[in-house]
Amino acid sequence: MSLFNICQALQDSAVGTSIRESLWTFPVIETIHILALALSVGMIIMLDLRLIGAGMRHAPAGQIMGQLKKWYLIGFGTMITSGVLLFWSEAAKCYRSNSFRIKLVLLLLVALNAVFFEIVYKPRMEQWEAGQRPPAGAKLCGWCSMILWIGVIGFGRWTAYGMK
Amino acid sequence: MIALAVLHFFHWADDSAVAAAIRGSTWVFAFIEVFHLLGLTLLLGTVVLVNLRLCGYGLQRQSLAEVASDALPWMLVGMAVTMGSGSLLFVSEAMKCYDSPPFFVKMGFLFTALVFTFTLQRRLTKRSAPPPLWGKVAAGVSLFLWFGVGLAGRAIAFY
Repeated sequence: MSLFNICQALQDSAVGTSIRESLWTFPVIETIHILALALSVGMIIMLDLRLIGAGMRHAPAGQIMGQLKKWYLIGFGTMITSGVLLFWSEAAKCYRSNSFRIKLVLLLLVALNAVFFEIVYKPRMEQWEAGQRPPAGAKLCGWCSMILWIGVIGFGRWTAYGMK
Repeated sequence: MIALAVLHFFHWADDSAVAAAIRGSTWVFAFIEVFHLLGLTLLLGTVVLVNLRLCGYGLQRQSLAEVASDALPWMLVGMAVTMGSGSLLFVSEAMKCYDSPPFFVKMGFLFTALVFTFTLQRRLTKRSAPPPLWGKVAAGVSLFLWFGVGLAGRAIAFY
C-alpha cells in the first residue's frame, strides 16, 4: 500500500468524509486552526524576538520560555489536533499539493531547530540576565525559528488556496 | 445620506485601479492574505500575552507595565500589517463586503477593540500589578473583542 493509497483511504474514511461534507465542521475546525496561531506561533515569536534582541527587554529569555511554555504547548496541541482533522478530510489532495509538502518539511526543520536549542542552549539559559544578550548561536536559532514559522504559515495558506 | 456616502465609498474602492490590479492576478490576493495571517499572529499573540498577564498568568515575574510596554511596539507592527493588508483585501472585493453582514460585524468589533485597547486597557496596564477583579474583566473583554474580529473576519469568506 503506497502513501498515496493511505491518504486516499483516510480521505474516503467516515471521519474524513463527514468533516468534508458537513456544512459547519470544516469551517469551524479551520477557524480554530487559524485563531490558535495566537497561542502557538504568537507566543514562540515573542521568545524569538527576545533571542534576536528585538524586544521583550524586561524579561530574560529563560523566564519567557519557562513562563510561556504551558501556553504555547496548549497552542500547539490545538494546532496539531485541528490540523490533523483538516488533513484527514483532504488527505489525498494534500498528498498532491506541493505547498503542503513544503509546509511539512518546514515543520520538520522547526522541530530540529527547537530540539537543537533545547539540547545546546536551554541548560545554560537561566544564567542569561535581563540586560545580557543571548549567545550568537541562540540568536541564530531565534532567527531560524521566526523565518521557518513565517514559511509554515505562508505555505499553509497556500495549501488551502490550491485546494479550491 | 450617510448610507449613500457609504455606498459611494464602497463603489469607489471597488472601481479603483488597485482593486483591478489585485483582481487581475491569480496570486496577489493569496499573497496579501498570507501577510494578513502573519500580522494576525503577531497582533493576537501580543494581545494574548498582555491579557494573560492581566489575569495573573504568563509572564508573572515581570510587572504588568513591563509586559504591556514590551508588547506594545510589536502589537503596533501587527496592527499595521493586518490593517495594511486588510485594506488591500477589502478594496479588491469592496462590493462583496458591502453585501456581507460578517464584514460589518467585523468592523464593529475592530473599532470597539481599538478604542478599548487604547483607552481603558492602556490605562489599566500602566500599573505594575493588575487590580484582581478588573484585570480579569478587562482581559475577558479584550479577548472577546479581538477574537471576535478574527471570527467575524473568517466568516466573511464562508458567508
